[in-house]
Amino acid sequence: MPSAYYTCNLIPVDLVTRNGYAPRWLGNYLLDPSSPARREALSIHPMTCPYVTRLVSAADALLCAAPEGDCLIVPGGCDAMRRLGDLLAATYPGRVFVLAMPRASGEGAARSLAADLARLDQWLAELAAGAGPAAPASDAHCEAESSTIMELPALDYPSTPRTGGAFVVAGPLSDNFLLRLIDDLGPGIAGLESCTSPDRWRPLAAAPAAITQLAGASPAGAAASDAEGYFSLASEALAIGMCPRRSTADRRDHLARRLDEAQPGSVIYARQSFCDPGAYDALIVAELAEERGLPFLEIEAGFPFEASGPLRTRVEAFLEAQLLDDDLLDDDLMEEED
Amino acid sequence: MPGMADVTGTSFKASLIRAAFLAFTRKKALQSRTARRYMELHALSASLELFKPGAIVPWVSYLFPTELVRSYGLTPMIPEIGSATITGSDLREPVETAAARMALARDVCSYHRIGLAAVENDMLPVPSLCLTTTPLCLGNAFLLEMLASRHSVPYREVRVPIPPDEGEAVPEVVADVAEQLNVLHEDIGRWTGRKPDLRKTMELSNRASQAWGHIMAERLAGRLEMNGRRTFATVFLGQLLWGTEAGAKDFERLLTERGRSDLMAPRLEGGRKLKRLLWLHTMPHHDKELFELLERRGVVIIFEEMCHMHTETIDPENPYPGLARRLTDNTMWGTSTRRARLNVALAKQLKVDGAVHFNHWGCRHGLGSVPVVRSAFMEAGIPFLAIDGDALARGGPNQEKSLQQMESFLELL
Repeated sequence: MPSAYYTCNLIPVDLVTRNGYAPRWLGNYLLDPSSPARREALSIHPMTCPYVTRLVSAADALLCAAPEGDCLIVPGGCDAMRRLGDLLAATYPGRVFVLAMPRASGEGAARSLAADLARLDQWLAELAAGAGPAAPASDAHCEAESSTIMELPALDYPSTPRTGGAFVVAGPLSDNFLLRLIDDLGPGIAGLESCTSPDRWRPLAAAPAAITQLAGASPAGAAASDAEGYFSLASEALAIGMCPRRSTADRRDHLARRLDEAQPGSVIYARQSFCDPGAYDALIVAELAEERGLPFLEIEAGFPFEASGPLRTRVEAFLEAQLLDDDLLDDDLMEEED
Repeated sequence: MPGMADVTGTSFKASLIRAAFLAFTRKKALQSRTARRYMELHALSASLELFKPGAIVPWVSYLFPTELVRSYGLTPMIPEIGSATITGSDLREPVETAAARMALARDVCSYHRIGLAAVENDMLPVPSLCLTTTPLCLGNAFLLEMLASRHSVPYREVRVPIPPDEGEAVPEVVADVAEQLNVLHEDIGRWTGRKPDLRKTMELSNRASQAWGHIMAERLAGRLEMNGRRTFATVFLGQLLWGTEAGAKDFERLLTERGRSDLMAPRLEGGRKLKRLLWLHTMPHHDKELFELLERRGVVIIFEEMCHMHTETIDPENPYPGLARRLTDNTMWGTSTRRARLNVALAKQLKVDGAVHFNHWGCRHGLGSVPVVRSAFMEAGIPFLAIDGDALARGGPNQEKSLQQMESFLELL
């Protein structure tokens, strides 16, 4: 079964599986930085975020060695990711699909995404037909097989989220190293807002109801009424994927709701360097934290996340100060004074 | 000479200084009678109005069809132009200090970073509405929506799909963008309480476009050799004037030899031929050294990618499809492959000796396309150089490196 690598979990994976592809998150295929690079390996400008930088290398290595049927789907959520898609599409013609992602979530934006999802569906079907081995999507056995192969981000909470803990906002994370670091230091995790968060990928990975609205079992038999199916799919993806690149007002409302639900004791923003959506998003989160009187810390994170000495010290100092504040509030002396 | 702080104030004293400053700029324009000087005067004059109390200030992105706000008699505030102007004035140090104090990460586009610092520190007027289009970059949308949110003013983004690599955007896409522009134009009237005159605005915009289109055609045909750096600076400011009487006259001034006399490429002694470069993306606004180096070495920027726009005439009776087409098929929009194809074709048509891409600080849209653009130029056998820099910087380590890179490149040519 051919593989369809993808860079962002906003793509409805069921569109991929129904065309006989095994969806695989590209973040799980990073190259070992110590391994020797190919002479003709693609390179991009150093002023690009670590996520995009590492994904370019990973996709390049995979596509140059993978069977012809394998492909890459790139939701172009930000300028850097869109350009990643452009570069790989130019290098591997016919094997890369760049999906434009709107910022808004109104009807116009959903219609435009729906049209692009229909194109993606058709592209996958044609690619699968050309590649040969892809089975028809109506083949129940094939669907079952592809869903077992489905490789999603492996990130999960190290322990059950609890109120009073740190609420973490981050770009894509490859693992729960940062969460474990915070958890180990005491306060626990109140919540995680990241595109690789289980709160995000679980609902997206679960077969959306909209997929069942598509008339044909495969796009080859697509009917005019399918437009509504794609529209529902697009609306669902936009409703779940409230990322930093989204409309400021929508994102702010979403974050405010998440913070109020999680009731954290502090907020930590792990931003990747050279990430434009993250840069503006961090300002929103800082404002929301301030409005709620929550301590806020912004750290620079790489991809994959590495807790270097200074970064670890900053997180430790921030959380210790928070714990100290809590201790002082609980102190008997304070009660006597009262 | 008065500084920016003196002319942008709201006091009576500031208004007197402003009048004197504009009179001085007008005198310079009258003496030179060139399009460049007149455009400086008119852009400055219109922009200073935005600082007056009660002014309606529409902040718009660089490629936004400014005719939509012009039809209501409003002057647009474009972040890139505001930032370039502020950093070229006596407010450079204060705005850089303010930007350094801001919580916004330093690795974002400096045009946007400086723009935000300037408006949050009373160096640029606060927005009354913020309008953007998907082209050219996501940073514009982030900045403008953040400003709209902080100042509680309307925000609107016109969605423009990526055009195909070959050929034009399909009619359905153009119709969708046209409809968004139509609705937005009506909304601007509702938000500002003003009456529009879009027909007249489009007629004026068309006059400017026809003049500019003629100049561009002459340049492309090799019959007119202009200094790309100065031309870029002039057209950059001209963005504020599309759809105005002054703008129409200023662009028409380019049609006369006198009117474009200070924008022409230099002539070398003894009839020696200049080396010709195509410049891609924006240009350093305040850094003269790079351009002085080119001049010393007998090299001229013969054409600039960023000026390759606004050359079409739009139906004044029904302008939305034309304005939409200007966005959907903009030469700077689309995939890296499209950008590479269009620019290689441009380079071949102009028979340039090489192309230079300016990797502007923090511009993921521009520098992200460089690998594809570079390969296309290499494949076409056209020397290509990408230099890093900040369009708003003056000096610094990046400039040193760029100068060295340019030296080596010029030797290669």
